[in-house]
Amino acid sequence: MNVIATYSIKGGVGKTATAVNLAHLAASQGARVLVWDLDPQGAATFYFRVKPKVKGGGKALIKGKRELDDVVKGTDYENLDLVPADFSYRNMDLVLDASKKPTRRLAQLLRPMARDYDYVFLDCPPSISLASEAVFQAAHALLVPLIPTTLSLRTFDQLDSFLAEHPGRKKLRLIGFFAMVDRRKRLHRELIDEVGRARPEVLDIQVPASTDVERMGVHRAPLFTFAPRSRSAVAYRELWKATEARL
Amino acid sequence: MSQLHRFVVTDGGDLEQLINGLSQRANFVRDPDRRSERSVYDTFDWRLFEAGTFLELITALDGRGGRGEVALAWRSSLTGEVLGRLGVDEAPRFVWELPAGAVTDRLSDVIEMRALVPLVTLSTVRHPLRLVDDEGKTVVRVIVEDSALADGTPLAPVVEVHPVRGYEAAATAVVDLLAAQVLLGADADDVATMALRAVGLSPGSYNSKLRLRLDGEGTALDAYAEVLRTLLATMLVNERGVRDDLDSEFLHDFRVAVRRTRSVLGQARGVLPAAVLDCFRAEFAWLGTATSPTRDFDVYLLTLPEFEAGLPPARKGDLKPFGAFLDQHQRSAQRALVAELDSDRYRTFVDEWRAWLVEPASDAPDAASPAVEVASLRIWKAYRRLIRAGRRITDDSEPEALHDLRKDAKKLRYLLECFGSLFPADEIAPLVKQLKALQDVLGEFQDCEVQAGSLEGFGQQMLDEGGTPASSLIALGYLVEQLDERQGQARAAFADRFGRFDTKRLRRAARTLFGPMPVVADRDLTSSVQPLVVPPDPTRGHLPVKAALP
Repeated sequence: MNVIATYSIKGGVGKTATAVNLAHLAASQGARVLVWDLDPQGAATFYFRVKPKVKGGGKALIKGKRELDDVVKGTDYENLDLVPADFSYRNMDLVLDASKKPTRRLAQLLRPMARDYDYVFLDCPPSISLASEAVFQAAHALLVPLIPTTLSLRTFDQLDSFLAEHPGRKKLRLIGFFAMVDRRKRLHRELIDEVGRARPEVLDIQVPASTDVERMGVHRAPLFTFAPRSRSAVAYRELWKATEARL
Repeated sequence: MSQLHRFVVTDGGDLEQLINGLSQRANFVRDPDRRSERSVYDTFDWRLFEAGTFLELITALDGRGGRGEVALAWRSSLTGEVLGRLGVDEAPRFVWELPAGAVTDRLSDVIEMRALVPLVTLSTVRHPLRLVDDEGKTVVRVIVEDSALADGTPLAPVVEVHPVRGYEAAATAVVDLLAAQVLLGADADDVATMALRAVGLSPGSYNSKLRLRLDGEGTALDAYAEVLRTLLATMLVNERGVRDDLDSEFLHDFRVAVRRTRSVLGQARGVLPAAVLDCFRAEFAWLGTATSPTRDFDVYLLTLPEFEAGLPPARKGDLKPFGAFLDQHQRSAQRALVAELDSDRYRTFVDEWRAWLVEPASDAPDAASPAVEVASLRIWKAYRRLIRAGRRITDDSEPEALHDLRKDAKKLRYLLECFGSLFPADEIAPLVKQLKALQDVLGEFQDCEVQAGSLEGFGQQMLDEGGTPASSLIALGYLVEQLDERQGQARAAFADRFGRFDTKRLRRAARTLFGPMPVVADRDLTSSVQPLVVPPDPTRGHLPVKAALP
C-alpha cells in the first residue's frame, strides 16, 4: 500500500482536486483506492456527495476508540472509498497532542488498511502543524501543487528543508508540480522554465487554471466523469503516470 | 466489505417487469444497459475459484454487435468487489505477461506460475440500477444480469444487490424488498460459476493436495490400493498438460504423484505381493528419472527472476544468455520427455498398473491386517528413523548426512499425507507443521547445494557450446557465491528447526498416535521422561487393550 498526501502550506491551489482526480484515475485503472479527507472544510467529501461526518468525530479515531475501517464510505465509483471529513478535525492538533506518540498516530491507523487498498490519498489541511507532521510520517509521497510564483517556490524550498530535518524523510518522496498555470502570463512561463533546470523534484507537469476543475463543485464528481478530454484531464493523467513511476 | 446478495430469477419470472418495477420506485435510477462477451479463466487447479474469486476477459459490445473496450476483470464472488481491472488486448497465458503494478502483484500471489485456461464464454446484458440518497449519492447498486452461453443456451437471470460500504442499512432494505418477490430464489451462484456448471465443469474439482478419506475399518490392502489409485488418477489427469507443456506445474504435480507412489511402494512390503512391487517399483523409478531433466530446467527458469533480483543493478542483463540457454535445453528435454510418454514401455506399464489397481489381490502376510495398524507401524518406524538420524547431525556432519535426513523427512511426510486420514486430524496437525518447517530448512540447504553445482555445470556447458560472453559467466559466479551464503544460513537454522520438531510434546503425540504401546516409557528417545500411563482411546481400535497395562 502506497500512501500519497496532497499537501500545500497555502490553500486554494488545487490540492483537493488533485487528490480526488488522481484517486479516481487510479481506481478506474483497477487499483483499490482510499481517500482520507483530513481537511475540516471537507471539499473532497463534498465532491463525492458524502455527508461530512465521522461517527464519534476525529477524536474517536485518534484516541483509538474507533478503527478507520468502521468509518469508510463507498463512493459512486468502483474500487474508490472515502474516509469523510469531520468538522472536529479542526481540533486535530489538540487531540493529537494529548495522545501518545502523536506524529505516528495516522500511520498506525492506516496500517490495518494495507490489506484492502493499493493506494491511500490523504487530502491535508493547509498548514504546518502536528497534524501535517503525522501526515509526513504516514505518507510515502508528498504531492505539492505549485502556483508558478516566486513566493510559492520559496515555500516549497522551506518545506524541503523542513522535511530534511524530519525523521521520516528517508521514505518520503517530495513531488512538486505546477497548478493553476496561466500560459498567457510571462511570469508563469519564465518561472516554469527556470524551475525545470534547478529542481529535479518538481515535475514538468502543468495543470492549467481552468473552469473545468472549478466545475467539479457543480457536478460534484471527479473531472474525468464530465470532461475526460479537457486539458486539465490530460495533465492529471500525466501527473498520475509520473507519480506512480516515482513511488 | 459486506457480502452481496444474489437472487436467481426462477422460471416464468418476467425480467422486464422486475426492472421496471424497481426503476419506478422513488430514488431508484436506471443506468443504460451494457452488453458484453465474457470469458471465464482459471488455472487447472482452480486457484482463483479456491480464493473465492473469478477472472473474466470482458469485451464490451454495442447494440449492433460492434466490439469495444477489452478488460481483464478480477472480482470477489462473495462481495462482488473488483479486486482488479486491467485494460488488455487479450487474456495472458501467464501473469508475468501483464503490465507490472499493484493488481498484477496481487494476482500473481494467487496464480503464481500456473497458466490461465479459458473455461467458458458467455454473453451478458447487464441492467444496472442505483438507489440514491438526497445528495444524489449512490447507496445501493442493483445489477440484473441476463446471460447465455456461447451456443445460445440461456442461463437463469441473476439479480445482485451490491451494498455500498458505509450504507449497509439501505442494502438490507433493498434485499428485504426483493426477498418478498415470489419469482426470486435466494442464494444463487455467481454467473461465472453457473456458466461453468452449465458446461459440465466442477470448480474446485482438482487440487494438488492429497484429499483422501480412508476407511478406518478397512484392511491394509484396501488403504494402499486406494492411495495408489488416487495417485495414479493425479498422474493421468496431469498427463495432457505435461505433454503440451501448458505450464510447469503439470509436470510438477505428475512427478509428486510418482514420488509419492514410489514412497508408498517402498513401504508396501508385506502388503502388496512381492512380484507386483518388484515390477512396478522399477517402472516408477524409470518414470521418475525420465521426467527429471525437464523439471530441472523448469525450476531454473522459474528461479531466474529471483536470480536476477539478486544481482547488482548493472549486472541484471548479464543473465540473458543464461535464460536463452535454459530455454533451449528445456525444450529439448521436453521433446525427449514426450517421446518417453509416447513409448510402448510407458503405455504398457500404465495399463498394467491400472489393471492391477482395479482388482488388487495380495496374499502377503499383512494384506488383510487392519489398515490403521499397518500404517501406524510404518509411520512409527519412519518417525523414529528420522529422530535418530537428526540427533546424529552435528556442525561437522557432511552435507550428505543432511541430504539423507531430508530423504527420511520426505518419507515420513509422504506416509503422513497418504495415510493421515486414518488418524485424528487435529492431533496430526502440530506434528506435520513442525515437520514441514524442518523440511523447508533441509530443502533450502539441499537446493542451494544442487543449484550451486548445476550453475557451475551450466557455465561450463555454455562455454563448451560457445558464444557466451564473459559477463554471463561472472554473473553465474556471483550467484554461486550467494547460494553458498544461503546454504550457510540454512545450515545454521537446522539445529533450532530440528529442536522444535524433536520436543517432548511432539514425541508424546507421535507415540500416542503411532507408537506400538500407549505406555510412554520413552527410553530410547529421551532419558528424562517419566513413564506415563495413557488410557486407551476407544476410538482407536488397533491398540491391543492389554498394552495399556504397565
